[in-house]
Amino acid sequence: MARSVIPIGPYHPLQEEPEFFTLTVDGETVVDIEVNLGYNHRGIEKLSERKTFDQSTFVIERICGICSTSHPFAYTRAVEDVIPVEVPERAKYIRTIIAEGERIHSHLLWLGLAGHFLGYNTVYMWVWKLREEILDVMEILSGNRNNYAMFKPGGVRRDIKEEDIPVVMRKIDSIIPTIDRLKKAILDDPVLHVRLKGIGVLTKEEAINYCAVGPTSRASGVARDVRKDAPYGAYDRVEWDMIVTEHGDVFDKAVVRILETYESIKIVKTCLQNLPGGDIDLNIKDIPPGEGIGAHEAPRGEVFHYVRSDGTNRPARHKVRAPSYMNIPTCQATVIGETISDATIILAAVDPCYCCTERMAVRDSKGARLYDTKELIRLSQQKTERIKRKMGIK
Amino acid sequence: MKLPKVRELTEAVKALLTGPYTSKFPKQPHVAHPNFRGQPVYDADRCVGCLACENVCPVEAIAHEDITDHENPRRVMIHYTDTCIFCGSCEAACIADNRGIKLSGEWDLAFFDRSAAMETIEKELELCEICGGPVACKDHLRWISERIGELSFSSPTLYLSRLKGLGVIDENIIEASRDYGRSDRVKILCARCRRETTLTTK
Repeated sequence: MARSVIPIGPYHPLQEEPEFFTLTVDGETVVDIEVNLGYNHRGIEKLSERKTFDQSTFVIERICGICSTSHPFAYTRAVEDVIPVEVPERAKYIRTIIAEGERIHSHLLWLGLAGHFLGYNTVYMWVWKLREEILDVMEILSGNRNNYAMFKPGGVRRDIKEEDIPVVMRKIDSIIPTIDRLKKAILDDPVLHVRLKGIGVLTKEEAINYCAVGPTSRASGVARDVRKDAPYGAYDRVEWDMIVTEHGDVFDKAVVRILETYESIKIVKTCLQNLPGGDIDLNIKDIPPGEGIGAHEAPRGEVFHYVRSDGTNRPARHKVRAPSYMNIPTCQATVIGETISDATIILAAVDPCYCCTERMAVRDSKGARLYDTKELIRLSQQKTERIKRKMGIK
Repeated sequence: MKLPKVRELTEAVKALLTGPYTSKFPKQPHVAHPNFRGQPVYDADRCVGCLACENVCPVEAIAHEDITDHENPRRVMIHYTDTCIFCGSCEAACIADNRGIKLSGEWDLAFFDRSAAMETIEKELELCEICGGPVACKDHLRWISERIGELSFSSPTLYLSRLKGLGVIDENIIEASRDYGRSDRVKILCARCRRETTLTTK
């Protein structure tokens, strides 16, 4: 059969790195994949150099809609590294609470979308209902469901009120049984085992060679986590475990994310219980000339910021490296040899914001459009149906 | 195999009994949590027109316009509600005890005409008696003199503005001469004219 070329991309407006995949398929099997990054240049780094150090946090917060705290966290750490200065203890705890709350909602969001692409729309609806509770918690703590505007160089902008803590604790406790049920429903499901196990395997060696970060690498047995390796915030003051699994397939990536949600809940609860008193802000006035780096373990992996100051109130240079930049190329190791119906979930397993499928299109070698987004999702959902039928469930 | 299905079935029955999770929004108005950061609103009585909020705004959603006609000199503070990102920097920077501009719980901000997506308040402006340019808002000068107490008598701009506001000063005295020299020093002056009158040898 003639080989066809399938372009996927290039515009993914809500993602940090819009990407463009060109799949070469032989019948149903993917034989080659080419990744192009660097579309939809927004000039964020340049824009950040036009704003003051304090104002830049709001620009940086809008790099990504989902991890709107990860970027400011890394950026403020970079600015504090220029001076250098330690933020007050209470600010550290508040930062950790916000960052972990974000991780919970980001992982739940991924889980829901993964369910949708596999044809488990009930999971999709349940998880997103659950996510609403976390977004409510974030609204109580920071004043908004997203784009929390909490971080500033030298501390945080808003304090957590004492009277809000019991409400937040109650809300977080209330979602744990639902996550438990969901975890069992997903991990017990024999269809999901067949559908996801051994699919899109990223071996430990490949994960190291591709410099994969975050849950993508931890699912392949690479125990790397900035929060453990170089503790910051309140991560060295609370008890939590790094989740590492061995197989590196889509199933393990899902398991890592589900279990990490539990760890994040644990961190948020411990931090809220042990919230120390004191200042929340250092009121930094001047930033001396110099360079600084800051890293933060975002829900998708390590995010890295570099800031150079020339002594004025604006950064002279600001560089951002987002985690998906390292994770997306791993699809070269994972997608090749799999079928088109699996490509959707394998590309999704890296957790790029999956609005990218909206721009997914499949073309044959003559350039005629064969599949669009809906078609690809339908293919993926049909495969699940087939497996279900084969197992005699439906 | 049977057990997971029973578990999911119970959940489905429960969901059927409890009804939908979503709120009946357009029928039932949504009330935001008190901590919610909504649209910033000016308090025309508390705001002193110092422009601190304009200075810190990361998206340039706050601007001002000085109208310097001698009948009714005023500063119009403009807040563009379409550009605003509700970050709260303006409230944090407000010198009037963070109450001149304050985030509200207002979230329903839809509008049809983008050019009308702004809020304005007007503050009385003190004009320079030589060049006629803006010095500062009257409320801002009063705010400063209240902070520094009797030290404000070292600055004619501060105490004359205050006395004028109280009505204890005769307008005719101020209008007497206009020679950019020593006699002009005891007047309400902008920074540039203050420098000229102080450094001149006339």
